[in-house]
Amino acid sequence: MTAIAARRGPTMKLYVVLWIGLILIVGLEVFLTYQHLPARTLLVCLLGLALIEAALGVMYFMHLKYERPALFWSLIPYLLFALVMMDHFWPDALRLMRQRMQGP
Amino acid sequence: MGPSVTSVAAPHGAPIEQSPYGIQSKKLAMWLFIIADAATFGAILFVYGYLRIANPNWTRPFAFSPTIVNGITMTVVLLTSSLTMVAAVAAAQSGRVSGGVRWLGATILLGLVFAALHLREWFAMIGEGWRLFQNPMGGSPLFGATFFGITGLHLLHVICGVIVIGAITLGFRRGRFDAGHVETTALYWHFVDLVWMFVFPLVYLMNTR
Repeated sequence: MTAIAARRGPTMKLYVVLWIGLILIVGLEVFLTYQHLPARTLLVCLLGLALIEAALGVMYFMHLKYERPALFWSLIPYLLFALVMMDHFWPDALRLMRQRMQGP
Repeated sequence: MGPSVTSVAAPHGAPIEQSPYGIQSKKLAMWLFIIADAATFGAILFVYGYLRIANPNWTRPFAFSPTIVNGITMTVVLLTSSLTMVAAVAAAQSGRVSGGVRWLGATILLGLVFAALHLREWFAMIGEGWRLFQNPMGGSPLFGATFFGITGLHLLHVICGVIVIGAITLGFRRGRFDAGHVETTALYWHFVDLVWMFVFPLVYLMNTR
């Protein structure tokens, strides 16, 4: 594996900057929580910020940005597809639950 | 990125095909596990999200102090453990065994602190009467099921991670494991960290008083 082991990656300085950035995003999440937003709006905001944190973590801490693009394209679209399908099928399952016929 | 060779020689001389992704097979296996595990966490967080939004009687028990303050502390501890983990990987890849072992030890310590803070909070809630299907505040009993279910699954991942990092640290110090093992373990640990980035806002911050 030595032929493919040579790799580049972020410096420790960049990691520390990312770490500070992630903590600031957590602070922003806590700030938004106490702005008394409607539950649905707050959920969308918190999910959006969590997705930004996840993207930074996956690309830099987990090094995906520095691997071959094939790895990214083999993994991430599949995961997003699975999550989107879940998001579309759960509401449908709830709709079917409401349509269930009442027993005698 | 590695050179564009299509095969390498095995120790006994027979050519073997090189990974199309340019990574060790154990690292690819860990990535596949992570994607599957992410789908698992995604499923339970989707279920939780729908329950949380659809249920008008959803309980919001968490006060800023101590619960949210404790949650912020746990988040910072876990994020810091990711930083110590990348330092461990960097040390291992540059051949500094003692440095790698020290950073891995720091990661284990931070993982244990996270687990201890989490268990302390669990025991406090159990002391107040919270159970899997029991809500002492009189709201939906599903709160306990989702809270203990989601945070319990994550805590299980943290505890498994601490055990695995401990085993890898011992093996790395004795020369039985190499930097590739440390890097693969780091992938898992960063994933556990990332899952918490969803659990904390959705399960804690969405349920503040």
